[in-house]
Amino acid sequence: MGQGVLDVDDNSFESEILKADKPALVDFWAPWCGPCKAIAPVMKELEEAYGDSIVFARCNVDNSPNAPTQYSIRAIPTLILFQDGKVVDQIVGAVPKSQLEGLVKKAL
Amino acid sequence: MPKDLYDVAIIGCGPGGLQAAIHSASKKAKVIVFGKPRNSSLYKAHIANFCCSEKLISGKEMLEAGRKQAESFDAVFLEEDIIETKNENKLFSLFTESGETFTSRTLILSMGVARKKLRVKGENRLVGRGVSYCVDCDANFYRGLDVAVVGNESAATTGAITLLSYARTVYLICRKLMITDTLYKQLRNSQVKVIQDTWVKEIIGTNDVEEVLLKNGETLKVNGIFVELGAKGALELAANLGAMFDAETISFIETNRKQETNIPGLYAAGDITGQPWQIAKAVGEGCVAGIEATEYAKKLAKS
Ligand SMILES: Cc1cc2nc3c(=O)[nH]c(=O)nc-3n(C[C@H](O)[C@H](O)[C@H](O)COP(=O)(O)OP(=O)(O)OC[C@H]3O[C@@H](n4cnc5c(N)ncnc54)[C@H](O)[C@@H]3O)c2cc1C
Repeated sequence: MGQGVLDVDDNSFESEILKADKPALVDFWAPWCGPCKAIAPVMKELEEAYGDSIVFARCNVDNSPNAPTQYSIRAIPTLILFQDGKVVDQIVGAVPKSQLEGLVKKAL
Repeated sequence: MPKDLYDVAIIGCGPGGLQAAIHSASKKAKVIVFGKPRNSSLYKAHIANFCCSEKLISGKEMLEAGRKQAESFDAVFLEEDIIETKNENKLFSLFTESGETFTSRTLILSMGVARKKLRVKGENRLVGRGVSYCVDCDANFYRGLDVAVVGNESAATTGAITLLSYARTVYLICRKLMITDTLYKQLRNSQVKVIQDTWVKEIIGTNDVEEVLLKNGETLKVNGIFVELGAKGALELAANLGAMFDAETISFIETNRKQETNIPGLYAAGDITGQPWQIAKAVGEGCVAGIEATEYAKKLAKS
Protein backbone atom coordinates (compact mmCIF):
# COMPACT_ATOMS: atom_id res chain seq x y z
CA MET A 1 0.00 0.00 0.00
CA GLY A 2 1.09 3.53 -0.76
CA GLN A 3 4.04 2.60 -2.94
CA GLY A 4 2.33 4.51 -5.72
CA VAL A 5 1.36 3.52 -9.22
CA LEU A 6 4.06 1.40 -10.83
CA ASP A 7 5.49 2.43 -14.21
CA VAL A 8 5.74 -0.53 -16.58
CA ASP A 9 6.96 -0.78 -20.17
CA ASP A 10 7.33 -3.40 -22.88
CA ASN A 11 10.34 -4.89 -21.10
CA SER A 12 8.83 -5.21 -17.66
CA PHE A 13 5.26 -5.97 -18.71
CA GLU A 14 5.58 -9.72 -18.50
CA SER A 15 7.29 -9.90 -15.13
CA GLU A 16 5.38 -7.10 -13.41
CA ILE A 17 1.90 -7.68 -14.85
CA LEU A 18 1.43 -11.02 -16.55
CA LYS A 19 3.44 -12.98 -13.99
CA ALA A 20 2.40 -10.91 -11.00
CA ASP A 21 1.25 -12.90 -7.97
CA LYS A 22 -1.70 -10.50 -7.65
CA PRO A 23 -4.26 -9.17 -10.13
CA ALA A 24 -3.02 -6.04 -11.91
CA LEU A 25 -4.80 -2.96 -13.19
CA VAL A 26 -2.87 -1.25 -15.98
CA ASP A 27 -3.60 2.28 -17.14
CA PHE A 28 -2.45 2.71 -20.75
CA TRP A 29 -1.76 6.40 -21.14
CA ALA A 30 0.36 9.02 -22.88
CA PRO A 31 1.69 12.41 -21.84
CA TRP A 32 -0.23 14.30 -24.55
CA CYS A 33 -3.59 12.91 -23.46
CA GLY A 34 -5.74 15.23 -21.33
CA PRO A 35 -8.25 12.61 -20.14
CA CYS A 36 -5.30 10.41 -19.06
CA LYS A 37 -4.05 13.21 -16.82
CA ALA A 38 -7.51 13.67 -15.37
CA ILE A 39 -7.78 10.06 -14.18
CA ALA A 40 -4.20 9.73 -12.89
CA PRO A 41 -5.17 11.00 -9.40
CA VAL A 42 -8.01 8.47 -9.26
CA MET A 43 -5.57 5.63 -9.95
CA LYS A 44 -3.45 6.96 -7.10
CA GLU A 45 -6.39 7.05 -4.71
CA LEU A 46 -7.42 3.51 -5.63
CA GLU A 47 -3.85 2.35 -5.17
CA GLU A 48 -3.86 3.75 -1.66
CA ALA A 49 -7.08 1.89 -0.90
CA TYR A 50 -6.50 -1.42 -2.68
CA GLY A 51 -2.74 -1.52 -3.29
CA ASP A 52 -2.35 -4.46 -0.89
CA SER A 53 -4.34 -6.81 -3.04
CA ILE A 54 -3.88 -5.42 -6.55
CA VAL A 55 -0.95 -4.12 -8.55
CA PHE A 56 -1.69 -0.65 -9.90
CA ALA A 57 0.45 0.18 -12.90
CA ARG A 58 0.61 2.49 -15.86
CA CYS A 59 2.12 1.96 -19.27
CA ASN A 60 3.07 4.91 -21.48
CA VAL A 61 2.01 3.82 -24.98
CA ASP A 62 4.41 6.35 -26.44
CA ASN A 63 7.47 4.39 -25.24
CA SER A 64 5.95 0.92 -25.28
CA PRO A 65 4.32 0.06 -28.60
CA ASN A 66 4.10 -3.71 -28.06
CA ALA A 67 1.67 -3.89 -25.19
CA PRO A 68 -0.95 -1.64 -26.81
CA THR A 69 -0.74 -3.64 -30.04
CA GLN A 70 -1.00 -6.91 -28.15
CA TYR A 71 -4.19 -5.75 -26.42
CA SER A 72 -5.64 -3.93 -29.48
CA ILE A 73 -5.64 -0.57 -27.73
CA ARG A 74 -6.96 2.19 -29.96
CA ALA A 75 -8.02 4.79 -27.45
CA ILE A 76 -6.42 6.11 -24.31
CA PRO A 77 -6.82 6.01 -21.45
CA THR A 78 -7.65 2.30 -21.55
CA LEU A 79 -7.58 0.46 -18.24
CA ILE A 80 -7.16 -3.28 -18.33
CA LEU A 81 -7.52 -5.66 -15.43
CA PHE A 82 -5.23 -8.70 -15.62
CA GLN A 83 -5.40 -11.86 -13.57
CA ASP A 84 -3.03 -14.81 -14.04
CA GLY A 85 -1.71 -13.20 -17.20
CA LYS A 86 -5.13 -12.91 -18.79
CA VAL A 87 -7.41 -9.97 -19.48
CA VAL A 88 -10.38 -10.05 -17.12
CA ASP A 89 -12.05 -6.82 -18.09
CA GLN A 90 -11.34 -3.36 -19.45
CA ILE A 91 -12.61 0.19 -19.47
CA VAL A 92 -12.00 2.89 -22.06
CA GLY A 93 -11.96 6.59 -21.27
CA ALA A 94 -11.78 8.84 -18.25
CA VAL A 95 -14.61 7.17 -16.36
CA PRO A 96 -15.92 8.13 -12.91
CA LYS A 97 -14.12 6.79 -9.87
CA SER A 98 -17.05 4.56 -8.92
CA GLN A 99 -16.81 2.76 -12.25
CA LEU A 100 -13.09 2.20 -11.92
CA GLU A 101 -13.58 1.03 -8.36
CA GLY A 102 -16.17 -1.43 -9.66
CA LEU A 103 -13.53 -2.85 -11.98
CA VAL A 104 -11.04 -3.14 -9.13
CA LYS A 105 -13.56 -4.92 -6.92
CA LYS A 106 -13.99 -7.63 -9.54
CA ALA A 107 -10.48 -8.74 -8.73
CA LEU A 108 -10.77 -8.76 -4.96
CA MET B 1 7.81 39.67 -22.26
CA PRO B 2 5.17 39.19 -24.99
CA LYS B 3 4.06 42.55 -26.40
CA ASP B 4 0.38 41.92 -25.80
CA LEU B 5 0.29 40.46 -22.33
CA TYR B 6 -3.16 40.25 -20.75
CA ASP B 7 -3.83 40.16 -17.01
CA VAL B 8 -6.90 37.97 -17.31
CA ALA B 9 -7.86 35.68 -20.19
CA ILE B 10 -11.28 34.08 -20.07
CA ILE B 11 -12.38 31.07 -22.11
CA GLY B 12 -16.13 31.26 -22.48
CA CYS B 13 -18.56 34.14 -22.98
CA GLY B 14 -21.56 32.67 -21.15
CA PRO B 15 -22.76 34.23 -17.88
CA GLY B 16 -19.75 32.86 -15.95
CA GLY B 17 -17.17 34.30 -18.33
CA LEU B 18 -19.06 37.58 -18.76
CA GLN B 19 -19.35 38.24 -15.05
CA ALA B 20 -15.67 37.40 -14.60
CA ALA B 21 -14.85 39.85 -17.40
CA ILE B 22 -16.99 42.60 -15.88
CA HIS B 23 -15.39 42.24 -12.44
CA SER B 24 -11.82 42.00 -13.66
CA ALA B 25 -12.07 44.71 -16.32
CA SER B 26 -13.80 47.11 -13.93
CA LYS B 27 -10.80 46.67 -11.63
CA LYS B 28 -8.61 47.86 -14.50
CA ALA B 29 -7.22 44.48 -15.46
CA LYS B 30 -6.41 43.98 -19.14
CA VAL B 31 -8.98 41.38 -20.13
CA ILE B 32 -9.64 39.21 -23.18
CA VAL B 33 -12.63 36.89 -23.57
CA PHE B 34 -12.82 34.01 -26.06
CA GLY B 35 -15.87 32.12 -27.22
CA LYS B 36 -19.03 32.19 -29.28
CA PRO B 37 -22.29 33.43 -27.77
CA ARG B 38 -24.39 30.91 -29.69
CA ASN B 39 -22.47 28.07 -27.98
CA SER B 40 -23.51 29.21 -24.53
CA SER B 41 -26.19 27.07 -22.86
CA LEU B 42 -27.97 30.33 -22.25
CA TYR B 43 -28.28 31.30 -25.91
CA LYS B 44 -31.53 29.47 -26.55
CA ALA B 45 -32.92 29.63 -23.03
CA HIS B 46 -35.63 31.81 -21.54
CA ILE B 47 -35.01 32.75 -17.97
CA ALA B 48 -37.50 33.23 -15.16
CA ASN B 49 -35.61 32.24 -12.03
CA PHE B 50 -32.67 34.63 -12.08
CA CYS B 51 -32.74 37.27 -9.38
CA CYS B 52 -33.99 40.71 -10.38
CA SER B 53 -35.23 39.59 -13.77
CA GLU B 54 -38.86 39.42 -12.92
CA LYS B 55 -40.12 39.03 -16.46
CA LEU B 56 -39.15 36.18 -18.71
CA ILE B 57 -36.02 37.33 -20.53
CA SER B 58 -34.20 35.73 -23.41
CA GLY B 59 -30.74 34.32 -22.89
CA LYS B 60 -29.54 35.82 -26.12
CA GLU B 61 -30.38 39.32 -24.88
CA MET B 62 -28.66 38.67 -21.57
CA LEU B 63 -25.49 37.57 -23.37
CA GLU B 64 -25.50 40.68 -25.55
CA ALA B 65 -26.07 42.98 -22.60
CA GLY B 66 -23.31 41.30 -20.60
CA ARG B 67 -20.84 41.71 -23.40
CA LYS B 68 -21.66 45.42 -23.76
CA GLN B 69 -21.18 45.87 -20.02
CA ALA B 70 -17.79 44.16 -20.10
CA GLU B 71 -16.77 46.14 -23.19
CA SER B 72 -17.66 49.37 -21.43
CA PHE B 73 -14.83 48.50 -19.02
CA ASP B 74 -12.52 47.82 -22.00
CA ALA B 75 -12.60 44.02 -22.00
CA VAL B 76 -11.71 42.68 -25.46
CA PHE B 77 -13.82 39.94 -27.09
CA LEU B 78 -12.76 37.46 -29.73
CA GLU B 79 -15.39 35.12 -31.19
CA GLU B 80 -13.07 32.20 -31.62
CA ASP B 81 -12.52 28.85 -29.97
CA ILE B 82 -9.36 28.02 -28.11
CA ILE B 83 -7.82 24.81 -29.37
CA GLU B 84 -4.78 24.51 -27.12
CA THR B 85 -3.52 25.89 -23.83
CA LYS B 86 -0.04 26.00 -22.30
CA ASN B 87 1.33 27.12 -18.98
CA GLU B 88 4.99 28.15 -19.05
CA ASN B 89 7.04 30.52 -16.91
CA LYS B 90 3.97 31.59 -14.91
CA LEU B 91 2.16 32.67 -18.09
CA PHE B 92 -0.71 31.03 -19.94
CA SER B 93 -0.60 30.78 -23.74
CA LEU B 94 -3.82 30.29 -25.64
CA PHE B 95 -4.00 29.18 -29.26
CA THR B 96 -7.08 30.11 -31.27
CA GLU B 97 -8.72 28.21 -34.11
CA SER B 98 -7.37 30.81 -36.55
CA GLY B 99 -3.84 30.11 -35.42
CA GLU B 100 -3.22 33.18 -33.25
CA THR B 101 -1.55 33.01 -29.86
CA PHE B 102 -2.44 35.11 -26.80
CA THR B 103 -0.61 35.31 -23.51
CA SER B 104 -2.02 36.08 -20.09
CA ARG B 105 -0.96 36.14 -16.45
CA THR B 106 -4.12 34.35 -15.38
CA LEU B 107 -6.73 32.16 -17.03
CA ILE B 108 -10.38 31.71 -16.11
CA LEU B 109 -12.03 28.60 -17.53
CA SER B 110 -15.72 29.09 -18.13
CA MET B 111 -16.43 26.75 -21.02
CA GLY B 112 -19.71 25.43 -19.67
CA VAL B 113 -20.72 21.85 -20.32
CA ALA B 114 -21.40 20.38 -23.73
CA ARG B 115 -22.62 17.14 -25.14
CA LYS B 116 -19.81 14.82 -26.20
CA LYS B 117 -21.63 11.74 -27.48
CA LEU B 118 -23.36 11.33 -30.83
CA ARG B 119 -26.01 9.01 -29.40
CA VAL B 120 -26.24 6.77 -32.44
CA LYS B 121 -26.47 3.02 -32.79
CA GLY B 122 -23.13 1.23 -32.44
CA GLU B 123 -21.40 4.12 -30.70
CA ASN B 124 -21.24 2.84 -27.11
CA ARG B 125 -20.52 -0.72 -28.11
CA LEU B 126 -17.52 0.29 -30.23
CA VAL B 127 -15.85 2.81 -27.90
CA GLY B 128 -12.14 2.02 -27.91
CA ARG B 129 -12.67 -0.23 -30.94
CA GLY B 130 -12.66 2.54 -33.46
CA VAL B 131 -14.90 5.07 -31.77
CA SER B 132 -12.84 7.82 -30.13
CA TYR B 133 -13.59 11.16 -28.51
CA CYS B 134 -10.08 12.58 -28.58
CA VAL B 135 -8.02 13.13 -31.72
CA ASP B 136 -5.05 14.37 -29.72
CA CYS B 137 -5.06 11.19 -27.62
CA ASP B 138 -5.72 8.56 -30.25
CA ALA B 139 -4.57 9.79 -33.68
CA ASN B 140 -1.39 7.76 -33.33
CA PHE B 141 -3.35 4.46 -33.32
CA TYR B 142 -4.67 5.14 -36.84
CA ARG B 143 -1.43 5.38 -38.79
CA GLY B 144 -2.06 4.49 -42.43
CA LEU B 145 -5.74 3.77 -41.83
CA ASP B 146 -8.95 5.44 -43.01
CA VAL B 147 -10.85 7.56 -40.51
CA ALA B 148 -13.83 9.87 -40.24
CA VAL B 149 -14.32 12.83 -37.93
CA VAL B 150 -17.81 14.05 -37.10
CA GLY B 151 -18.65 17.53 -35.87
CA ASN B 152 -19.49 21.03 -37.08
CA GLU B 153 -17.02 23.18 -35.23
CA SER B 154 -13.41 23.87 -34.36
CA ALA B 155 -12.67 20.60 -32.54
CA ALA B 156 -13.75 18.47 -35.52
CA THR B 157 -12.04 20.68 -38.10
CA THR B 158 -8.69 20.99 -36.34
CA GLY B 159 -8.97 17.31 -35.43
CA ALA B 160 -9.42 16.30 -39.07
CA ILE B 161 -6.41 18.39 -40.09
CA THR B 162 -4.31 16.84 -37.32
CA LEU B 163 -5.31 13.35 -38.43
CA LEU B 164 -3.91 13.99 -41.92
CA SER B 165 -0.43 13.51 -40.45
CA TYR B 166 -1.35 9.98 -39.35
CA ALA B 167 -4.21 8.46 -41.33
CA ARG B 168 -4.39 7.56 -45.02
CA THR B 169 -7.78 9.10 -45.67
CA VAL B 170 -9.63 11.57 -43.47
CA TYR B 171 -13.32 12.38 -43.93
CA LEU B 172 -15.02 15.22 -42.10
CA ILE B 173 -18.74 14.63 -41.66
CA CYS B 174 -20.70 17.77 -40.80
CA ARG B 175 -24.09 19.38 -41.18
CA LYS B 176 -22.67 22.84 -41.67
CA LEU B 177 -19.29 24.10 -40.57
CA MET B 178 -19.27 26.87 -38.00
CA ILE B 179 -15.64 27.94 -37.90
CA THR B 180 -13.59 31.07 -38.60
CA ASP B 181 -12.71 31.97 -42.21
CA THR B 182 -9.03 31.36 -41.57
CA LEU B 183 -9.68 27.83 -40.35
CA TYR B 184 -12.07 27.25 -43.24
CA LYS B 185 -9.35 28.22 -45.72
CA GLN B 186 -6.89 25.91 -44.03
CA LEU B 187 -9.39 23.08 -44.33
CA ARG B 188 -10.11 23.85 -47.99
CA ASN B 189 -6.41 23.73 -48.78
CA SER B 190 -5.95 20.42 -47.00
CA GLN B 191 -6.51 16.83 -48.11
CA VAL B 192 -9.47 16.36 -45.76
CA LYS B 193 -12.51 15.05 -47.64
CA VAL B 194 -15.41 17.15 -46.37
CA ILE B 195 -18.88 15.58 -46.52
CA GLN B 196 -21.42 18.30 -45.76
CA ASP B 197 -25.16 18.54 -45.13
CA THR B 198 -25.38 15.17 -43.48
CA TRP B 199 -24.69 13.39 -40.20
CA VAL B 200 -23.89 9.97 -38.81
CA LYS B 201 -26.83 7.59 -38.61
CA GLU B 202 -25.11 4.46 -37.38
CA ILE B 203 -21.66 3.08 -36.66
CA ILE B 204 -21.26 -0.44 -37.95
CA GLY B 205 -18.78 -3.18 -37.08
CA THR B 206 -18.65 -6.63 -35.48
CA ASN B 207 -15.61 -6.26 -33.22
CA ASP B 208 -14.17 -3.03 -34.57
CA VAL B 209 -15.54 -0.12 -36.55
CA GLU B 210 -15.90 -1.12 -40.19
CA GLU B 211 -18.36 1.36 -41.66
CA VAL B 212 -20.16 4.56 -40.91
CA LEU B 213 -23.67 4.92 -42.27
CA LEU B 214 -24.68 8.50 -43.04
CA LYS B 215 -28.13 10.04 -43.03
CA ASN B 216 -27.84 10.74 -46.77
CA GLY B 217 -27.65 6.97 -47.36
CA GLU B 218 -23.92 6.93 -48.10
CA THR B 219 -21.62 4.49 -46.26
CA LEU B 220 -17.97 5.17 -45.56
CA LYS B 221 -15.55 2.32 -45.06
CA VAL B 222 -13.36 3.46 -42.18
CA ASN B 223 -11.32 1.97 -39.36
CA GLY B 224 -12.19 4.68 -36.93
CA ILE B 225 -14.53 7.53 -36.22
CA PHE B 226 -13.66 10.50 -34.02
CA VAL B 227 -16.60 12.22 -32.39
CA GLU B 228 -15.58 15.85 -31.87
CA LEU B 229 -18.73 17.86 -31.24
CA GLY B 230 -18.42 21.56 -30.48
CA ALA B 231 -15.24 23.10 -29.13
CA LYS B 232 -12.58 21.52 -27.00
CA GLY B 233 -13.74 21.18 -23.43
CA ALA B 234 -12.31 20.80 -19.97
CA LEU B 235 -10.77 17.38 -20.46
CA GLU B 236 -8.64 18.68 -23.31
CA LEU B 237 -7.90 22.27 -22.31
CA ALA B 238 -7.80 22.06 -18.52
CA ALA B 239 -6.35 18.60 -17.95
CA ASN B 240 -3.34 19.49 -20.06
CA LEU B 241 -2.62 22.36 -17.72
CA GLY B 242 -2.66 19.91 -14.83
CA ALA B 243 -6.03 20.96 -13.38
CA MET B 244 -7.63 18.53 -10.95
CA PHE B 245 -11.04 17.09 -11.77
CA ASP B 246 -13.66 15.86 -9.36
CA ALA B 247 -12.97 12.20 -8.72
CA GLU B 248 -16.59 11.18 -8.76
CA THR B 249 -17.32 12.07 -12.37
CA ILE B 250 -14.01 13.25 -13.92
CA SER B 251 -16.10 15.91 -15.67
CA PHE B 252 -15.81 19.00 -13.50
CA ILE B 253 -12.88 21.14 -12.49
CA GLU B 254 -12.18 21.29 -8.77
CA THR B 255 -12.01 24.74 -7.23
CA ASN B 256 -11.97 26.24 -3.76
CA ARG B 257 -14.09 29.15 -2.55
CA LYS B 258 -11.85 31.59 -4.38
CA GLN B 259 -12.53 29.66 -7.60
CA GLU B 260 -8.84 28.76 -7.66
CA THR B 261 -7.85 25.43 -9.17
CA ASN B 262 -4.79 23.50 -8.01
CA ILE B 263 -2.71 25.44 -10.59
CA PRO B 264 -1.61 28.95 -9.54
CA GLY B 265 -3.24 31.59 -11.75
CA LEU B 266 -5.84 29.17 -13.11
CA TYR B 267 -9.47 29.67 -12.10
CA ALA B 268 -12.77 28.09 -13.11
CA ALA B 269 -16.36 29.34 -12.94
CA GLY B 270 -19.83 28.30 -14.03
CA ASP B 271 -21.22 25.00 -15.24
CA ILE B 272 -17.67 23.68 -15.69
CA THR B 273 -17.22 23.39 -11.91
CA GLY B 274 -20.29 21.20 -11.44
CA GLN B 275 -23.96 21.38 -10.61
CA PRO B 276 -26.32 23.17 -10.18
CA TRP B 277 -26.18 24.39 -13.74
CA GLN B 278 -27.74 27.77 -13.14
CA ILE B 279 -27.00 31.33 -14.18
CA ALA B 280 -26.97 32.52 -10.59
CA LYS B 281 -24.18 30.10 -9.72
CA ALA B 282 -22.25 30.92 -12.90
CA VAL B 283 -22.27 34.67 -12.31
CA GLY B 284 -21.49 34.21 -8.61
CA GLU B 285 -18.44 32.12 -9.36
CA GLY B 286 -17.52 34.39 -12.28
CA CYS B 287 -17.54 37.39 -9.98
CA VAL B 288 -15.22 35.70 -7.48
CA ALA B 289 -12.91 34.35 -10.19
CA GLY B 290 -12.69 37.79 -11.84
CA ILE B 291 -11.75 39.52 -8.60
CA GLU B 292 -9.28 36.85 -7.50
CA ALA B 293 -7.60 36.59 -10.90
CA THR B 294 -7.17 40.35 -11.06
CA GLU B 295 -5.47 40.44 -7.66
CA TYR B 296 -3.21 37.56 -8.59
CA ALA B 297 -2.28 39.19 -11.90
CA LYS B 298 -1.44 42.48 -10.22
CA LYS B 299 0.82 40.75 -7.68
CA LEU B 300 2.51 38.80 -10.44
CA ALA B 301 3.07 41.98 -12.46
CA LYS B 302 4.86 43.59 -9.49
CA SER B 303 7.04 40.60 -8.68
C1 LIG C 1 -32.60 25.06 -22.48
C2 LIG C 1 -31.92 25.59 -21.25
C3 LIG C 1 -32.64 26.32 -20.32
C4 LIG C 1 -32.02 26.85 -19.19
N1 LIG C 1 -32.76 27.56 -18.31
C5 LIG C 1 -32.16 28.10 -17.21
C6 LIG C 1 -32.92 28.92 -16.29
O1 LIG C 1 -34.12 29.12 -16.44
N2 LIG C 1 -32.28 29.45 -15.22
C7 LIG C 1 -30.94 29.25 -15.01
O2 LIG C 1 -30.39 29.79 -14.06
N3 LIG C 1 -30.19 28.49 -15.88
C8 LIG C 1 -30.77 27.91 -16.96
N4 LIG C 1 -30.03 27.14 -17.82
C9 LIG C 1 -28.60 26.88 -17.51
C10 LIG C 1 -27.70 28.07 -17.87
O3 LIG C 1 -27.88 28.39 -19.22
C11 LIG C 1 -26.25 27.71 -17.55
O4 LIG C 1 -26.13 27.36 -16.21
C12 LIG C 1 -25.30 28.86 -17.84
O5 LIG C 1 -25.40 29.28 -19.19
C13 LIG C 1 -23.86 28.46 -17.51
O6 LIG C 1 -22.99 29.50 -17.83
P1 LIG C 1 -21.48 29.24 -18.19
O7 LIG C 1 -20.90 30.58 -18.41
O8 LIG C 1 -20.86 28.36 -17.17
O9 LIG C 1 -21.48 28.36 -19.54
P2 LIG C 1 -22.20 28.65 -20.94
O10 LIG C 1 -23.24 29.68 -20.82
O11 LIG C 1 -22.60 27.35 -21.50
O12 LIG C 1 -21.04 29.28 -21.83
C14 LIG C 1 -19.95 28.54 -22.26
C15 LIG C 1 -19.12 29.39 -23.17
O13 LIG C 1 -17.86 28.76 -23.38
C16 LIG C 1 -17.51 28.88 -24.72
N5 LIG C 1 -16.54 27.81 -25.03
C17 LIG C 1 -16.64 26.48 -24.83
N6 LIG C 1 -15.54 25.85 -25.24
C18 LIG C 1 -14.72 26.82 -25.73
C19 LIG C 1 -13.42 26.81 -26.31
N7 LIG C 1 -12.72 25.68 -26.49
N8 LIG C 1 -12.89 27.98 -26.70
C20 LIG C 1 -13.57 29.15 -26.53
N9 LIG C 1 -14.79 29.22 -25.98
C21 LIG C 1 -15.36 28.05 -25.59
C22 LIG C 1 -18.79 28.81 -25.49
O14 LIG C 1 -18.62 29.40 -26.76
C23 LIG C 1 -19.70 29.63 -24.56
O15 LIG C 1 -19.57 30.99 -24.86
C24 LIG C 1 -30.64 26.62 -18.97
C25 LIG C 1 -29.91 25.88 -19.91
C26 LIG C 1 -30.53 25.36 -21.04
C27 LIG C 1 -29.71 24.57 -22.02
